Amino acid sequence: MIEALQFLWPSFLVAVCLVGIHAYFGIQILARKVIFVDLALAQIAALGATVAFMLGHSAQSPATYGYSLAFTLLAAVLLAFTRAWGTRVPQEALIGVIYVVAAAAAILLIDRAPQGAEHLKQILTGNILTSGLNEVAVIVPLYAAVGLLHWLLRRRLTGSGPLLWEFVFYATFGVVVTGSVAIAGVLLVFSFLIVPAAIGIMFAASPTRQLAIGWIMGTFTSAAGLAASFAFDLPTGAAMVCAFGGALVVAGVLYPFLSGNRRNALRVATATARWGAAALLAASAVQLAAAPRADQPLIDMLEYAVPSFRSLYFTRAEEASFVDASQHAERYRMEAERLNDLEKRNRTEGETFDDITVGRISSFLKSYGEMRKGEQFVMNEVRARARERVRWGVSLGLLTSALLFAPVPWLGLWGRAQPLRLKPRRFAR
Amino acid sequence: MEGPSARPVLVPKPMVLRFALIAAWLAVASPGLAQGRIQVVTTTTDLRSLTEFVGGNRIVAVSLVAANMDAEDYQPKPQDVLRLKNAHVLVRVGLDYDLWVDRLLAQAAKPEISRGGPGYVDASFAIAALELRGMSVGPGDGHAHGSGNPHYWLDPKNAEIITATILDALARVDPDNAASYEANRLAFLARLQTKLLEWETKLAPLKGMPIVAYHNSWPYFARRFRLDFVGFIEIKPGVPPSPSHLARIVQAMRARGVRIVVREPHEPERDVAFVASKARASVVTLAASVGALPHTGDYISLFDANVDALKSAAGVR
Repeated sequence: MIEALQFLWPSFLVAVCLVGIHAYFGIQILARKVIFVDLALAQIAALGATVAFMLGHSAQSPATYGYSLAFTLLAAVLLAFTRAWGTRVPQEALIGVIYVVAAAAAILLIDRAPQGAEHLKQILTGNILTSGLNEVAVIVPLYAAVGLLHWLLRRRLTGSGPLLWEFVFYATFGVVVTGSVAIAGVLLVFSFLIVPAAIGIMFAASPTRQLAIGWIMGTFTSAAGLAASFAFDLPTGAAMVCAFGGALVVAGVLYPFLSGNRRNALRVATATARWGAAALLAASAVQLAAAPRADQPLIDMLEYAVPSFRSLYFTRAEEASFVDASQHAERYRMEAERLNDLEKRNRTEGETFDDITVGRISSFLKSYGEMRKGEQFVMNEVRARARERVRWGVSLGLLTSALLFAPVPWLGLWGRAQPLRLKPRRFAR
Repeated sequence: MEGPSARPVLVPKPMVLRFALIAAWLAVASPGLAQGRIQVVTTTTDLRSLTEFVGGNRIVAVSLVAANMDAEDYQPKPQDVLRLKNAHVLVRVGLDYDLWVDRLLAQAAKPEISRGGPGYVDASFAIAALELRGMSVGPGDGHAHGSGNPHYWLDPKNAEIITATILDALARVDPDNAASYEANRLAFLARLQTKLLEWETKLAPLKGMPIVAYHNSWPYFARRFRLDFVGFIEIKPGVPPSPSHLARIVQAMRARGVRIVVREPHEPERDVAFVASKARASVVTLAASVGALPHTGDYISLFDANVDALKSAAGVR
């Protein structure tokens, strides 16, 4: 626990700083309807850095930063103009074009200077896990300055104004994004930008309250994502992005309950859940009946969670050969691991194996791999045959439960069907 | 008099032009063909260097992947198909390392250098592959390859086998010069042998010294020079390491006193520096391929540079 905290608190601090500025910008961005502008600006900054790199400047030099900044400011001019242009083409389309062209141009440049590829990747992927106090020392003054500027100019920067203020908005945003993308990566910065702002806007009307909700929610979600990434051994950036996605889902589900007609919301929610379950069961039934040998996601998941579920439809012989094959497969895996281990230890310990011994180990490993593949083939075959055998019964059962789950008023239908059934009898009499 | 006699001279002019164009195109498109040299295409710079040692000045070798790129996720270019179409010999790494070349071969549709053809060389032939895990489920070794770790050229002893396979192919394609290829190879192996002894003495003090690397490119190198790679930062290719994995690595590094973290030039600097600073180790950048760093222009200087870099990082004189 202490170890985890030791590892994660610098990243958490960075995340809090990033949430702080990005939640604010996110509200502005959502109001302006330029959702993907951060991707475009980040990509332009990366293009600038690539150009600097090709001109012979090193990755961390001030010249590289200068190039990146110059490109970003140029893009800010372009973005300010696209707003004023006012054609029938939406601004988002132009932003998208800026993004793809900048990305493609960077690839073309990299093609001429392969050693820049890693550099470009670093600018765009970031890794919040390996960032810490050094980054905080840089971004805190920068973000504070940008925040102060925006507070002083708050009347002019909100909503649409003259070209100059548009430029100031995009230029400051570009400066922020250029730094944050290099720290946290494109995906995570996008989540920082949009999700807290979206949730804030969902639950509050005044900008101050929106911002407060965004900050609180962003901080908690970052902590949850970091904790999950440590606990479940997951890549940090991706885990945090999914945590933000999850938070948005939770907020979206809660929204109708907290604001609006609760009973109506509950009715819609249960109907959605029941239709969802019914569709899932019906699709599984059709899949099992039509292609019993193919993947059966629902049944596979059940078996993965509860392996003994298999014995419900396996015969005793099938069960025995399945277990036998899986035991053999495991044994071969263990043997291969043992040999790999032996070879690895021998690299530094004792007398080195001669080339013939190494070759023999290698071919043994290959055979174990093949044997294991064979056992796994047996397991799959046994399972497929068992499923083929029971497919009609099970898919009928699945279909019935799908019908039960579907929110159709069965009793009402039954009542209405009564007179229909009585009619022919009356005619017969 | 002047008019009618001049006419027949003028008529073939377009023909002459056409011939000149064709000749120029041949000279530009395949300079080697014009000089009668064997065109060899290799996937990586290491194989190019080894092929050049065997072929000498009778061949022209080009490598599809540039020195500094990650050959495992190379994006082929249209020119590559043209290069294959003009090639007499193709040398590839195999062991699932350069799978993309199969698609290029299908596009080039040239049976001589396709699988089974006389000019097709899978350099992994007869190599004893290490770390085979059958089905790419092995946890923690940083490879999704079921066919074993593909970085076998980093054992200089394996160069004997690789050059033998290349020699076979060159002798098949160009039997007239087979004797000269064989002589080239023997000269190269003799030079390699003396160098190998020198490298082994230089790295002897590092025997059993624990080392951490970013990517698991070094098992063959480790086996030859008796180095102990105790962990890797990137355990699944292309997936950033999780915090718990990094914590484990740092803990293991502290426990075993790891002082060196090995990184290749195309790998993220920041992640490696982070781990190294946490465990108070120093980062050394090694080239896993010819040309990836300055002064690694051929197969022998590649090892020269790596051995010296490792030695100075370990602080032994």
